[in-house]
Amino acid sequence: MNHSSSQEALSVNTPTYDDGSTWFSRLREATAFWMFLILLGLVVLFSLISPNHAFLSVNNFFTIALNASQLVLLAVGMTFLLGAREFDLSVGANVVLSSILAARTITSLAGTPDEVAMGNYPHLGPAITAGVLVAIISGTLFGLINGLLVTKLRLSSFLVTLATTAIGLGTALVMTHGANVPDIPRVLQTEFATYRVFDMIPLPVLLSLVLVLLLWFTLAQTRFGVHTLAMGSSPDASRRAGINNARHLLKLFGLMGFLCGIAALLDISRFATTNIGGHQTDNLQAVAAAVIGGTSLFGGIASVPGTLVGTLIPVVLGTGLVIMGLDSFYQLILVGLIVIAAVYIDQRNRQLSI
Amino acid sequence: MHTPQQDSSAPLSKQSMGAAAVEAGRREPALEAINIVKNFGSLQVLRDVSMTLYRGDITAVVGDNGAGKSTFMKVLSGEHIPDGGQLCVNNREVQLRSTQDAQSYGIETVYQDLALAPDLSVAENVFLGREIKAPGWRGQIGMLDRQLMLEESTRILTELGAKLKSYRATTQSLSGGQRQGVAIARAIKWAQHAILMDEPTAALGTRQRDMVYAAIRAAAGRNLAVLLISHDLPQVLELADRIIVMRQGTAVANLNPAEVTVRDVVDVMLGAKGA
Repeated sequence: MNHSSSQEALSVNTPTYDDGSTWFSRLREATAFWMFLILLGLVVLFSLISPNHAFLSVNNFFTIALNASQLVLLAVGMTFLLGAREFDLSVGANVVLSSILAARTITSLAGTPDEVAMGNYPHLGPAITAGVLVAIISGTLFGLINGLLVTKLRLSSFLVTLATTAIGLGTALVMTHGANVPDIPRVLQTEFATYRVFDMIPLPVLLSLVLVLLLWFTLAQTRFGVHTLAMGSSPDASRRAGINNARHLLKLFGLMGFLCGIAALLDISRFATTNIGGHQTDNLQAVAAAVIGGTSLFGGIASVPGTLVGTLIPVVLGTGLVIMGLDSFYQLILVGLIVIAAVYIDQRNRQLSI
Repeated sequence: MHTPQQDSSAPLSKQSMGAAAVEAGRREPALEAINIVKNFGSLQVLRDVSMTLYRGDITAVVGDNGAGKSTFMKVLSGEHIPDGGQLCVNNREVQLRSTQDAQSYGIETVYQDLALAPDLSVAENVFLGREIKAPGWRGQIGMLDRQLMLEESTRILTELGAKLKSYRATTQSLSGGQRQGVAIARAIKWAQHAILMDEPTAALGTRQRDMVYAAIRAAAGRNLAVLLISHDLPQVLELADRIIVMRQGTAVANLNPAEVTVRDVVDVMLGAKGA
């Protein structure tokens, strides 16, 4: 990597690494850094030009965070898989199926059908506990099945998860005949989804943030993270180094499934219903968020903070356009352009580093 | 001219390989292969190959394409499970069923493709699969001691004479010779008995090749047995303490590099001259 004299001048006041680069020069090479600047630019732009500066409010920022709280979980799970050079296209189907199983469990256990239809839930506590467990377990199992199919049958994860998307959605439709599960207790909304810690931070945002921080730490600082990127960088190298690629991959798909289970819980608690017709583009949105944040489609490079930025950009765009009174469909076009910019920056940096 | 101990047409037996041990004086065997057989379907690729690798020795294995060199190395590295014969590490019979088995017995391999993860740093590659956990509670939650891994990698590579711009850099940003240096450093770091190297200087320039030669000598200097597979016969004559010639799945000659020329080795490889 070439370092200009201006960078050398900069290093006088900033810590330098053993190759003479500074933390700032390293930051500049990260796709996530440029995407963060774009995010910041969007926030400033919408804050300035929105009517009455409506965009610039703490409440609006937390609404944006709430809207991103489900997708960020899927995108971070996808970041791990892409880092290991794998895909999961079935995340939307997993969320739908897990949310239906959880909703069915809650409404079945909370009371008799008549009581539940009347909005009476005599066994609410145990029912919600069971629902939470069912969502997490079914989501994780879905992921593990993907992982087993990929590792045991040695099939491409792209094709396996394309197939399990159909199987998952088909199962959900068979179970519900295409109708959403009604009568989910509103207390899930009032006591969880819309509950604000310190009257400010929505609880789902806090939950997602804690999980994202944990997963950031896992990818950047632990053996699990290094093995994930090693597998994506060179499966042969990791195998020859004694890493059990199949077992590690199974864990990654299990993690993705677990996060789908949590996203399913957020889904039914926010909207007090299931969303069978939704989540069809969750997979692409998750991949886009990861790629915008600097995660490579070719494995070996992944960034959880980058994915967080990559998740927020489309949400900020969507919210900003609505506040501006513009059609939010423009969001799709703009996100597409940003994905192209992110991939270009990623490829340019790769070429420079070789 | 050295007189090899065996006729080129006959496989080298365990007994005749013992002559090398006598020749080696009181040198300590690190890794012994005795009558190794390997079949792929009906094709017998290795036929009763016996060989002893001594501590501090560089043993080169040469042979024409298809002679069985790489298959033999893969048996020693645990990638291929032999169909017959015995393997002894440090005078103890062992079963090598995976590369992990070989590693656990202190045998490290430097593959022709180096087996480095290009997107990981030098330190991460040196410690891949055997990372150092941070002390105390940080280690218990799975946190790595990256500083210690960096310092240790820097120390080994500096001792080998590798001059890297950055030890935090990804290995894909290094030159071919530097990458080779990282792969050898990793092997030296973890090997307790033997290092196996497959074509370590293929596609390298002269300066980079010299660096790798120095690293190979350094490995032997650490009392490790080194097995070197190479097509580069001048390199072999320059580096090796012994040359084992393989032909059609058997070890046919054990040569002293000080007493043979490249022409002699080629003749034995091709069976043109009685070894």
